[in-house]
Amino acid sequence: MNAFRRFPWLFILPSLVGFLAFNAGPILLSLWISFTHWDVFQPLSLENLVGNWAGLDNYRRMLEDPVLKKAFFNTLYYVVVAVPLEIVIALAVALGLNRNFPGVRIVRTLYLLPTVTSVVAVGLLWRWVLNPYVGPVNLFLRWLGSKVEALFQLLHLPVPATVHWLATQGPGWLQDPAWAMPGIIVASVWAGLGFRMLIFLAGLQNIDPTYYEAAELDGANNWQKFVHVTLPLLSPTVFLNTLLALIGGFQVFGLIYVMTGGGPLDATNVLLFYLYQKAFGEFPPDMGYASAIAWLLFVILFGLTVIQWQLRKRWVLEEA
Amino acid sequence: MKRKTTFWDVFVIGLLLLGGLSMLVPFFWMISTSLKEPGSLFDLPIQLWPKKLHWENYRQVLTIVPFGRWYLNSLIIATGLTLLNLTSGAMAGYAFARFRWRGRDAMFLLSLITLMIPAHVLIIPLFVIMSRLGWIDTYYALILPGLFDAFAIFLMRQHFIQMPKELEEAALIDGAGPWQIYWKIALPLAAPALATLGTFTFLAGWNSFLWPLVATNSIEMRPLTVGLAVFNTNFSTEWTLLMAGLSLATIPPILVFLLAQRWFIRGLTLGSLKG
Repeated sequence: MNAFRRFPWLFILPSLVGFLAFNAGPILLSLWISFTHWDVFQPLSLENLVGNWAGLDNYRRMLEDPVLKKAFFNTLYYVVVAVPLEIVIALAVALGLNRNFPGVRIVRTLYLLPTVTSVVAVGLLWRWVLNPYVGPVNLFLRWLGSKVEALFQLLHLPVPATVHWLATQGPGWLQDPAWAMPGIIVASVWAGLGFRMLIFLAGLQNIDPTYYEAAELDGANNWQKFVHVTLPLLSPTVFLNTLLALIGGFQVFGLIYVMTGGGPLDATNVLLFYLYQKAFGEFPPDMGYASAIAWLLFVILFGLTVIQWQLRKRWVLEEA
Repeated sequence: MKRKTTFWDVFVIGLLLLGGLSMLVPFFWMISTSLKEPGSLFDLPIQLWPKKLHWENYRQVLTIVPFGRWYLNSLIIATGLTLLNLTSGAMAGYAFARFRWRGRDAMFLLSLITLMIPAHVLIIPLFVIMSRLGWIDTYYALILPGLFDAFAIFLMRQHFIQMPKELEEAALIDGAGPWQIYWKIALPLAAPALATLGTFTFLAGWNSFLWPLVATNSIEMRPLTVGLAVFNTNFSTEWTLLMAGLSLATIPPILVFLLAQRWFIRGLTLGSLKG
């Protein structure tokens, strides 16, 4: 139907207004602000836009900011640990649930419960669950530790220090700088698992069962079927899921805000949280510097996407 | 192909159940804590479930915190965002699918490029603009940014392109204008796509945190997420109250999810394209 050969003003207008006012406009404004010492208490005027020009000051400052450096490496730490964990566990769960047994739908639903719980609620919940003294995680770890300790004593072996520590104390989740980020990661994997699993399940259900039948005829065992049939055919889904998890991981914010507030001693301060602190969390707000951080984060995400697309050619089996 | 249940199957199912159980434990702990006596939480041995249920924790939390209002705000924001998003997204999607004009493809590409810009880049300039307009701490600031959504446009365009044109062409011959054809024929046929997109948008709006955190400052204007976060900061050690509040905030959405699971799953899977 090629009858409508004109510009559909009426249809486009709402999106166009939204695009200019709340998307393209702000993007340009953000870029501009990152090159200024923006004074948020002055009105949004040409004077303020041009008068506070700072050139590359904000970007230069990033190079010498130890907290930013720390936030960068904290973000990296989070992403490098949380993303593979989440992907591997989600894939394993999806493989397990991609079969029929009585109650499989109920189990699937269980894994999805955290997905419909907001990040803020998840953070608040896990701040309590990870309480080092009375939280169920450490209660369990201490119980486990004491059983292992008893086993060592039964065999008249010296009890390793780690086991004793586990039995009597356990990790100081969120309170000890060394255990703060692991605590965040546990909560985030728990919360993100269901969603990743759902994507994997969708991918698995798209695999033609005849491939498996052929593999079985060739005498393949479960592991061989996984490596030679499932993994190659699932590679586009694995790729997509990993990319999305990475992009989301670099933008972790809500959990940090609720669970640790970036602490203790900046141990969980990540890029987006630092940006928030600079722009809205301290006085006077430093919008110029915060905007520069926003663009740093953008460059990281953009670079990551480009690299992934390049890698995709190598290890993703092309959809025929 | 039917085969025998092996030891391996039992093992896998056992592990899955254990994992599923660990999804439930935090929620169980939340409810259990919310019913315990304040001040008894650190008594040893730790009680898994309180002997006497202290429902008054819930009454107390409702007197300190306007949960009803926060629910209402979340509902207004998520609904407003969804309606706005669906209306403008479907209209633009239809335009890109059925109209032809110079520069159409360039415009479509431009809108797709915005998907590359992460939301956090927009927070500061949006805050500056909304302050200038005097819209901070109003529903305008929380809802109007949903006017343009490249993902919605993209999705609706795909849907309209795949739709057969015959009905619309027949209507055209009968003398209907594009606006009429859109509302009377195309849009009703797009109901499944709208429902899926709507579910996803609603959920995203319901769970949004960073922008509402920045764009609100009075207690009455906070959505549930921001309200909870601030509540968490202000009562950070009153665990019985915190968990009672958290139960009030999480259990109703979970119940809704259980009732409308099919839609949610479709919306989520679809939304994964956006991430």
